[in-house]
Amino acid sequence: MSTIKSLDPRVTRFNIEEDDQSMQPLERRDYFETYEVFHQAKRGGRHTHVGSVHAPSPEMAFLFAKEQYGRRSTSTSIWVVRTSDIHTVGDEHSDMWENVPEKQYREAGFYKVRSRIEQFKKRHNDS
Amino acid sequence: MTASNEALKSLLYATADDLLILGHRNSEWTGLGPLLEEDIAFSSMAQDQMGQSLALYEILQRDLGERDPDTIAFLRPESEYRCCHFVEYPIGSYAFSLMRHFLFDQASYLRFAALAESSFKPLAFVSRKLLGEIKYHIMHGNTWMAQLSRGGEESHARMQSALNEAFPMALGIFEKLEHEEELVDAGVYAGSAQLRDLWLQHIEPALAHGGLALPELNAQEAGTAFFGGRKGFHSEHLGSLIEEMGAVLRSDPSADW
Amino acid sequence: MYGGGYIFDKPLQDHKDDDDPVKLAEFEARIDRGEKVEPHDWMPFEYRRQLIRLIEQHAHSEIIGALPEGTWITRAPGFRRKLALAAKVQDEVGHAQLLYNAAETLGKSREEMINDLISGKSKYSNVFNYPAKTWADTAVIAWLIDAGAIVNQVTNSKGSYAPYCRALERICQEESFHLKYGYDAVVHLATGTPAQREVLQDALNRWWPPIMHFFGPPDNASVHGEKLMRWKVKMASNDDMRQQFLNMYVPKIWELELTLPDPNLRKNPETRRWEYTEPDWDEFKRVINGDGPCNKERLAVRRTAEERGKWVREALLRPETQYSVPLS
Ligand SMILES: [Fe+2]
Ligand SMILES: [Fe+2]
Repeated sequence: MSTIKSLDPRVTRFNIEEDDQSMQPLERRDYFETYEVFHQAKRGGRHTHVGSVHAPSPEMAFLFAKEQYGRRSTSTSIWVVRTSDIHTVGDEHSDMWENVPEKQYREAGFYKVRSRIEQFKKRHNDS
Repeated sequence: MTASNEALKSLLYATADDLLILGHRNSEWTGLGPLLEEDIAFSSMAQDQMGQSLALYEILQRDLGERDPDTIAFLRPESEYRCCHFVEYPIGSYAFSLMRHFLFDQASYLRFAALAESSFKPLAFVSRKLLGEIKYHIMHGNTWMAQLSRGGEESHARMQSALNEAFPMALGIFEKLEHEEELVDAGVYAGSAQLRDLWLQHIEPALAHGGLALPELNAQEAGTAFFGGRKGFHSEHLGSLIEEMGAVLRSDPSADW
Repeated sequence: MYGGGYIFDKPLQDHKDDDDPVKLAEFEARIDRGEKVEPHDWMPFEYRRQLIRLIEQHAHSEIIGALPEGTWITRAPGFRRKLALAAKVQDEVGHAQLLYNAAETLGKSREEMINDLISGKSKYSNVFNYPAKTWADTAVIAWLIDAGAIVNQVTNSKGSYAPYCRALERICQEESFHLKYGYDAVVHLATGTPAQREVLQDALNRWWPPIMHFFGPPDNASVHGEKLMRWKVKMASNDDMRQQFLNMYVPKIWELELTLPDPNLRKNPETRRWEYTEPDWDEFKRVINGDGPCNKERLAVRRTAEERGKWVREALLRPETQYSVPLS
């Protein structure tokens, strides 16, 4: 069987057989499992979720994540965690978040006393 | 005493040429690697190595009066290259490329760590800066070595045979440099034999951790089988690679690309 | 890089609409409000199917697209170009990684996508089936193909599927480096020696037809297309994207006193639309279906990379590993 003579010298050196159809389809776990990646851009900053990598172990997940998510601009730290170790609940429960914004007594902006003070001062001065 | 420019050049060319050639070899995996994530990581390290060689060619130009980095990196005749044969060989299988990466970057780290203390200040300064990025290369090499050599019988056998092939070649990294005594006396360079011993101390535990054994070498392999590079005698693989690396540049070296 | 609205598939024949009308109405209302869809949200069957195709083919285009330019990594002239090209091709591999992950959140595994790429069942952008014959080809690719990709990707990044949008946001940042790098390389050739100008002009002549193909054939306004627009899967017509591209880049090409191999190319001052000779859409179909100058090689390279990597992956795989899907 002849090998590919490519315009790409790398490919020519890779000795690729031209008409080899023998490849077995990949199976579902061929690419391991997934890890979620958290990136810190500067010391003191938060670790932010930036994406995921496929990896066979936490150590390799770190190696992969560093270059896939930390090769541009500044990075000070990367965390990786198995996707399957992350717990959350689905969209069918999205209504549990709905009323949160209404509970304004938990927000600073809810407390406005200035007008009350002004009224008080006015009353006081008038008397 | 201080080292002569000739001696300094011999050291800088050897170090830079190793990195330039291996960087090119490793860049050949871009888009061809065993999984996407590793493809990206390996490409980063190849870029690092080319960038490291550039930093050294810049010293050659700025401090030692050589021509500009592109000219000296890409347009010298083969006999003026000082890289070792080890970096010249084609990428081969991933087992070979990884083993070479592991063996070479361990040596590279130790070499730069020693050069960080060099009496030749420009080189000491650059070496200190490069250590951090090579640390990632070491971590990468160690992790892959450990996981592949402990990844079942077939994989272990592949890694052992890659080691058998690569180890005698790797000894070529430590071929004595031209003017080496002068460099050692002037405190510029720790010396090739000393680096080799240090390197053996570092790689042996990592290899043993993966259940890999250094091959028994015959007298020639343990001696000078893969020597010559530091004097300008190269393997059959370098000439065509140099041709390729400079192909476009050589088509019109005076043009601006 | 990537291209083409052409990838949208015909809807399944007689696909039983098992989509719950109440949920469908909620889903459409959500999209109308400009909200994004997350992986675990309810979504119509056809929405999921079309998105998988779209993102998967985009991913394939990135990984295959790394090949024509990868051709020139070892030969790039000088350190500046060499490092930049290596970083650019690496980015393209990185884009594939991000996009495969985004597609996986919809339920198709990376392994299945790669199988479909290698078997030819799943397509990738046609432009990558053409050869990069000279250094000037890489400059033209990095400038103009990436420019086309940006038009497409910026448009798609306003779509409704959140993981795809997030991936595109990152990708677009990197593409702007590709575009600048490519333009820089082209300008150096265009303002260089006569020989440099000549190879550049030659590359441009050869790449123009694939570039015109890049956004796909004119869309015919089908009901199906309207639905994809309403769901914000498809964000602009192929022709609109092609017009946008021509408007941004033809003047820049002409500014360098380069020519384009289409005597009818001009901007109509009244309609403010570009007029051009329709590219050969039969060739486009032929190439997409496997009969282009590089199809065989591209797939053979990908197949070989997968095969040679197999023992590596098998050795690394730990028996206790569970199949999992990226979170978002
Ligand atoms: Fe790009
Ligand atoms: Fe891209």
